Amino acid sequence: MASPRPVSPRFDHSDSDEDEESQRVHGDHQVDESHFDTIDEPVSQTLLRDLKSIGQKFLHVFYVKQKISLLRNWDLWGPLILCGAMALLLQGNKADNVNDGGPQFAEVFVIFWCGAGIVTINSQLLGGRISLFQSLCVLGYCMFPLVLALIGCRIVLMLPHTSGLFVLRFCLVILGFCWSTFASTAFLADTQLSDRKALAIYPIFLFYFVMAWLVISHT
Amino acid sequence: MISLTVNVNYSLLYQSSFKQSRHFFNLIRHPVAGFFHIFFRCAAIATYLFCGWFSKSFIANFITIILLLAFDFWTVKNVTGRLLVGLRWWNYIDDNGKSHWIYESRKSQSDKTVYPAESRLFWLALIICPAVWIVFFIVALITFKFKWLLIVIVALSLNFANLIGYVKCKKGAHSRLTRMAGDFFTKQIISRVRFKTVCYR
Repeated sequence: MASPRPVSPRFDHSDSDEDEESQRVHGDHQVDESHFDTIDEPVSQTLLRDLKSIGQKFLHVFYVKQKISLLRNWDLWGPLILCGAMALLLQGNKADNVNDGGPQFAEVFVIFWCGAGIVTINSQLLGGRISLFQSLCVLGYCMFPLVLALIGCRIVLMLPHTSGLFVLRFCLVILGFCWSTFASTAFLADTQLSDRKALAIYPIFLFYFVMAWLVISHT
Repeated sequence: MISLTVNVNYSLLYQSSFKQSRHFFNLIRHPVAGFFHIFFRCAAIATYLFCGWFSKSFIANFITIILLLAFDFWTVKNVTGRLLVGLRWWNYIDDNGKSHWIYESRKSQSDKTVYPAESRLFWLALIICPAVWIVFFIVALITFKFKWLLIVIVALSLNFANLIGYVKCKKGAHSRLTRMAGDFFTKQIISRVRFKTVCYR
């Protein structure tokens, strides 16, 4: 998980060699950075910065103009939270027999992470300029609209069942699916080669289709 | 006379316990960080082993273990590595989508040296826990318990990520030290040669 982008780089030009610096090894060669200070920052600052970053990413799924945060400062907390929430909410019907809930719960995790992994490998094989973790981050965070749709469906299910309510749930899920696909396409399309965009976007479409199908069939 | 003796004995006892606590803090500078470094890892292992006693629900156990593993990963990567051994590793992605792994180590200074007790604690916990999870992996594989195998795979990947990251930081620090030592000796030799040539004139 990406950590620390230093918030306030120190620009003091100290002359001595024995400064309080952190020495970095960047791949094979060494980079002597005298102006990054995050190795000695207080723990609360680290925690708050990471929490703020996660919150910002959730917002940027809906306000897609700002692409940097999801692509550059990737982290996998959002996908973990959303995957867990989705798996939990999809278990609601089977809460009577606790022992049976296990396999379906683990199933959602496996479908989510393996599906995201396969989509990423596909886009990399097509020559896309994106790393594994960036793609997992984007696909995970863009699941947020579908999770909101799932919450909406659960709320709707508390009312007495009519066919009108089924149509409502269906529309909610379609809306969530379309927004998820649109958001992830907006983030990932730039990283693909221009003549292969459709080839790269189709698996993303399929991935969210499968997740939307899970939502509508289990509620 | 008796009361005086009692007072003297009490003050001696107080001094020795005070010295012991100072001795403890001379060994370990960050007790809270050390505690949390061990707590999350051991709690995850303990929960995996004993969850059947407390809850029959696989889901609750799964979520608890995954959350403990995630907190442990974040804590070891972002907090305890920095505080206990002055090492840190992270990932940075440039504009071309290439990811770079950065390994930082703090240069040793007088006020921020690494305490050997803390360093031993850090590395022992970092090495022993993945070994334990490997044992769990073999057991789960042999007994065909695939849903538990999923948890073990997640645990192994997170623990090994931290282990490999910090080993690379440590190797980087060593190579820097040997290079610095090499430079130091080279400078010494050159200065001696210069001194001798000055003297011979």
